[in-house]
Amino acid sequence: MKTSAPSPTASTEHEQSIRHLPAPARAAFEQFQAGGDPATLDPVVLAILADFSPRASEIPLADLPGDTMLIDDLGFDSLAITEVVFAAEDLFRINITNEEIVQVRTLDHLRGFIRAKVAGRSAR
Amino acid sequence: MPPLPVITGLGFITSIGQDRATVGRSLRELQHGFERVEFFGNPNLPVKVAGTIKGFDFPTPSWRDWRWPDRFTVDRELLRGLAPHGVYALCALQQALTEAGLEPGELGDGTTGLFCASAGSPFMLGSFLGQMRETRGERGNPMGVVSSIAGTLNFNLATHYRITGAVCGFVSACASSSHALGYAMDEIRLGRQQRMLVVGAEDMTDESIMAFSSLRALSNNPDPATASRPFDRRRDGFVGTGGAVALIVEDAALARRRGAHIIAELIGWGQAGDGHSVTASHPEGAGLREAMRRSLADARVNARDVGYVNAHATSTVAGDRSEALALHATFTSQGARPRVSSTKALTGHGLSLAGVMEAAFCALAIDEGFIPGAAHLEEPDPVCTGLDLPRTSLAEAPGLVLNNSSGFGGSNVCHLLRRPA
Repeated sequence: MKTSAPSPTASTEHEQSIRHLPAPARAAFEQFQAGGDPATLDPVVLAILADFSPRASEIPLADLPGDTMLIDDLGFDSLAITEVVFAAEDLFRINITNEEIVQVRTLDHLRGFIRAKVAGRSAR
Repeated sequence: MPPLPVITGLGFITSIGQDRATVGRSLRELQHGFERVEFFGNPNLPVKVAGTIKGFDFPTPSWRDWRWPDRFTVDRELLRGLAPHGVYALCALQQALTEAGLEPGELGDGTTGLFCASAGSPFMLGSFLGQMRETRGERGNPMGVVSSIAGTLNFNLATHYRITGAVCGFVSACASSSHALGYAMDEIRLGRQQRMLVVGAEDMTDESIMAFSSLRALSNNPDPATASRPFDRRRDGFVGTGGAVALIVEDAALARRRGAHIIAELIGWGQAGDGHSVTASHPEGAGLREAMRRSLADARVNARDVGYVNAHATSTVAGDRSEALALHATFTSQGARPRVSSTKALTGHGLSLAGVMEAAFCALAIDEGFIPGAAHLEEPDPVCTGLDLPRTSLAEAPGLVLNNSSGFGGSNVCHLLRRPA
C-alpha cells in the first residue's frame, strides 16, 4: 500500500481535524498558515503524535529528548503511525510513502521529516 | 466426574442496570430501562422508545468524543480499536472477573478461552466506509476494520486479556450469544478448556436499532411503560436495546478448588433450525420446540422438572405466538406448567446480546431465589391460555431454569441452568 497525496481540503475540514489538539498547537498551525515557515509546525507535529499515542505520556513530548524512539519508547505501533501519517498528510497537504515513514524512528527524525516535506511542498 | 460448566461471575451493562445489585432489583421490582428517544434526530419516525444505556455517550465515531461512567477503566490503547459495544463489553467483563475473583493476569495460560457475540458495529462500519468512499479509497481509519466488523469483540478482548485458549465469535443474529454460551459449555465439557469468558454485546445506536424498522419489527408505541409487552394481545413489535453482559464459566472442580462462589450450574443446551423463513419464526415454533427437547435430553431431565422459562419473546406479534405454541407443545402437553416470563419487557431486545443477558438473569434468579415476572402484561394473547405468566416477580426459588433464544433464519438455542448441588 502506498499512501497518496490528498486533494486540497477546506479550512472547515482543518478545523475539524485539529479540534482535538491543544490550543498552542492550533495557534501554531494558524501561524504556519499565515507565514508558511515549516519550523512553526513542530508543536503541531508533536500534538498530532500525542493525539494518536497508544499510551498517554505523562511528560509532554516537547520535553522529551530528541532521540526518543517512537516505537520502543513511546509505544507506537504501525497502525498508530499510519494514523499520524494520514493526519499529517491531510493537515499539511503532503504525501508520505510507507518507505519514507519506516525510516522515521525518533522525535527529531519526525520533526525534521515533516519540515522537509512541507518545505518541499512550498517549493513546488 | 466429567467436567461440569458453572457460572462464577456476572457482569452487566444493560438498560436496567450496570451492576448485579441494580439488575437484580430491577428484575424483582419490574423496573424497565426504557426512555423516549429520537432516532436520527428525526421527530417524524414512528419508533420513539429504546432501552438506553445510561451514563455512556458515543456522539461521534471518534473515540475522543466517547464518555463512560468514571468507575470503569478503559485504556486508550484499547479504545482506538473498539466500537461502542466494545466499551460496554469491557466494562461488563471487568465486573464479571471481579465477582469471580479473577485477575486479568490469570487468563493467559491457555486454560481460559473467550467466546463473544455481536453483530459488529453498523455505526463504526458506516463511518469507515463513508470515509473511504469520500476519499475514493485514499483514506481510512487504520482501526476501521477491527472496530466495526462482527468479531470486533473477540479481536479486542482476546488481545487485551492475552487469551491464548480458544477464541471465537458467533453470528446467528438474536441467538448469537446463546450459541457462544452453548459452545463454551462444550469446551469445558469436552475438557478442552477449564474456563471460558462469554461476552455478548451490541451498540445502542440509531444504526443498530433503526435497521430493524425497515423490517417493521419495532414497536411504534410511544409509551416507555407499555411499548415492550411480550405475550400481550396489544404487542406491536420489539423495543431495541444494546449493552453488554459477560459470564465467567468454568469447570465446577476448578471453581471449588479456587473457593469461588458458584452462581449456577449449566447442565445442558440444545439447538435446532426452523428450516422455514429468513426473518419469520416457524408459525408453530417447530425449531424452538425441538431445541427445547434437545436441551432437556442433553441435561437428562424432563419438562416437568423445569420451574421457570425465560422466554425469548420479543413482543412481536408472530414471534411471541410461535413461542407460546412451542411452550405448549413442550410443557402443557406433558402436564407441566413452569412459570414463564420474557425479561425483554424490561430490557428491550438486545439482539446478539439477548441470549447471554437472559442466561445471566436466569443465573441471578437461581442465586437469589426469585422468578422475574411478566412485566407489562395486561391482556394475555389467547394463545397463552394455559401458560403460567406471573404478573409480578415471585420470591420463590425457580428450580431448573430454561433460557430460550431464537434468531434470523430460524436458529433456536436453549440452555438449562440449575442451582448448585
